Amino acid sequence: MNLYDIIFYFFAVVTIASAAVVVFSRNIVYSAFSLLFTFFGVAGIYVLLNADFLAITQLLVYVGGILVLILFGVMLTTNVVSVEIKTGTMQTLPATIIVALLAGLLGGIVWTTDWFVGKRLSEVTSQTTSKEIGTALITTHVLPFEIASVILLVAIVGAAMMARRERSNTNI
Amino acid sequence: MNTDIIIKNLSLLTPELIVTGTLCFVLLGHAFDRKNSQLYVLLSFAGMLTALFTLTSYIGVKSSVFSGMLNVDPFATYFKIVIVFATLVILVMSRFSDEVNNETETVGEYYFLILSMCLGMMFMVGASNLIMMYLSLEMTGLTAYVASGFTRKAKDSSEASLKYLLYGAFSSGVMLYGISLIYGLTGTLNIAGINHVLLQGSANGWALSIASIFIIVGFGYKISAVPFHYWTPDVYEGAPVTITAFLSVASKAAGFAMMMRAFKVMFIDSSAVSVLAGTWTFIHGVQIQNVLIILSVLTMTLGNLVALWQDNMKRLLAYSSIAQAGYMLLGLAVLSNDGFAAVMIYFVVYLFMNLGAFYVVMLISNKINSEHIDKYKGLGRKSPFLSVALAVFLISLTGLPPTAGFIGKWMIFLSLINAKMIALAIIGVLNSVISLYYYVRVIRNMFLRDEQEAGERMTFPYAQQILLLSLLIPTLYFGLFFNQLIEFAQFSVAMVGVK
Repeated sequence: MNLYDIIFYFFAVVTIASAAVVVFSRNIVYSAFSLLFTFFGVAGIYVLLNADFLAITQLLVYVGGILVLILFGVMLTTNVVSVEIKTGTMQTLPATIIVALLAGLLGGIVWTTDWFVGKRLSEVTSQTTSKEIGTALITTHVLPFEIASVILLVAIVGAAMMARRERSNTNI
Repeated sequence: MNTDIIIKNLSLLTPELIVTGTLCFVLLGHAFDRKNSQLYVLLSFAGMLTALFTLTSYIGVKSSVFSGMLNVDPFATYFKIVIVFATLVILVMSRFSDEVNNETETVGEYYFLILSMCLGMMFMVGASNLIMMYLSLEMTGLTAYVASGFTRKAKDSSEASLKYLLYGAFSSGVMLYGISLIYGLTGTLNIAGINHVLLQGSANGWALSIASIFIIVGFGYKISAVPFHYWTPDVYEGAPVTITAFLSVASKAAGFAMMMRAFKVMFIDSSAVSVLAGTWTFIHGVQIQNVLIILSVLTMTLGNLVALWQDNMKRLLAYSSIAQAGYMLLGLAVLSNDGFAAVMIYFVVYLFMNLGAFYVVMLISNKINSEHIDKYKGLGRKSPFLSVALAVFLISLTGLPPTAGFIGKWMIFLSLINAKMIALAIIGVLNSVISLYYYVRVIRNMFLRDEQEAGERMTFPYAQQILLLSLLIPTLYFGLFFNQLIEFAQFSVAMVGVK
């Protein structure tokens, strides 16, 4: 087990443990804060995989943007700390069976499959991925890139429409 | 890939560009004149009409654009025509809908959403790369979530929107996981490329089966196949009728088109010699045919059986549309060009009869403000034209001659019999018999039951009657003169990347 493996397992444990806290915590503020560590752990794994651009994006967008947004949402909602969130467990037996089956199946697949390997880390020559990603985004992947912008436009309009509806409701 | 190629590729996407331009104009118009819904309808209608016109000039074009991201082929063009036509009908329908017109504040966004949903669907039918498929699916989904929660007053509407969003998020998550498994197995996202790698036979069969089933979850949600249908009745009931009609026809068509392309290009075993001409088999290890058969039998049986107990017209039509998806899945499960052509024919027929049925429901709901089936009593006397039209649409949905619905079902059952899947054909026919009961219940209420209090005659403006006629006439016309439609569908089965 070399240093690389140790760092990987460290980030993996951080990601999974904090994700478990997000799900199981009954206090939404704790959940929101431990989401920070989940995002951070994933960013760490990206760095280990030489995906520098993805790692930075993960930090900027998820930690810097989405997480802050969630925290603001939590803080601006009145009484959210004192309100008990309804987190019940239903249908325990069937859920356990299905989850166990699915986990076993997926685990088995992960172990037995010959996964596709593109380039090994030792074969990677370029120092940074940003340039390659940038080139791909405006050449081979230009269409998905542009469609994503239309999707964002739709999402903004949709969000504004729903938010305005809420406001006019309270006015009445 | 330089600019010349991009411009050349863009010229093949003219209809999509026109739709995109139109939706930008609608949004801009909204900034200047917020409450002028007539302007939006005119603008959107003109844009979609131009798109439809340009689409007809792409019939027969077979090409792959943007480094294999999108295919422009007869198959895609066929479905694009269906979708754009449905959008046109929905636009006019929305103009007549009180439900939509009452929302004076947000009516501009409404038309914007309809157009962007149409755009997403147009990309869905052509997508030939898993990224493109996922993106266009999300685009259609996102707009549909917002649109189904459009009406302010109805409590159901918000509930519908939320349910739709949660189910949608879950199923697209599962689908994305399947896509990532496929990528992990093959190292490519292009569906033709995936097929190429899979044919070399190195992939783990289990992983492949699980991945394909996960992808089916995403598709199954879109076409509301059992057991991914739970959102359908609530969303169809809660959403405005126009959106319900749009979802039940266009969204379903796009989902089917994407599913057909994905399976036919990605998992086809082109090396196998098939016994019957035009049939094909899946790659060894992919057991999707059985999955499809089970899905289709479950879908139509459950849809038809639950529809028997429905008293709300929208809910009844929701379950009926689940059942219709089951019949169409049968055509898919045949795995032959005949079956595919049958599904394509069915969609044209389904477009007219289902939109027509929803349109009548909407017109009646405008007048009596109810969709309850008991309120339809005595309608035959109050508004003979509407009642006769609804009766024709419902008979067509059952699949009885001389309506177009008969031709649609006939082609599907024929393809099943040709492929020696007699048992499935019999199940399909039995299901049609069950469906006759609940369709006829509505017709009986309209003509044979007297209402408690005598109502006065309903009158409708000529413009509304003209739209009804333009849906009614094709429903009858294609029941008698169907050769051209069948020829067009058989011609349009051709896809890029398939021999």
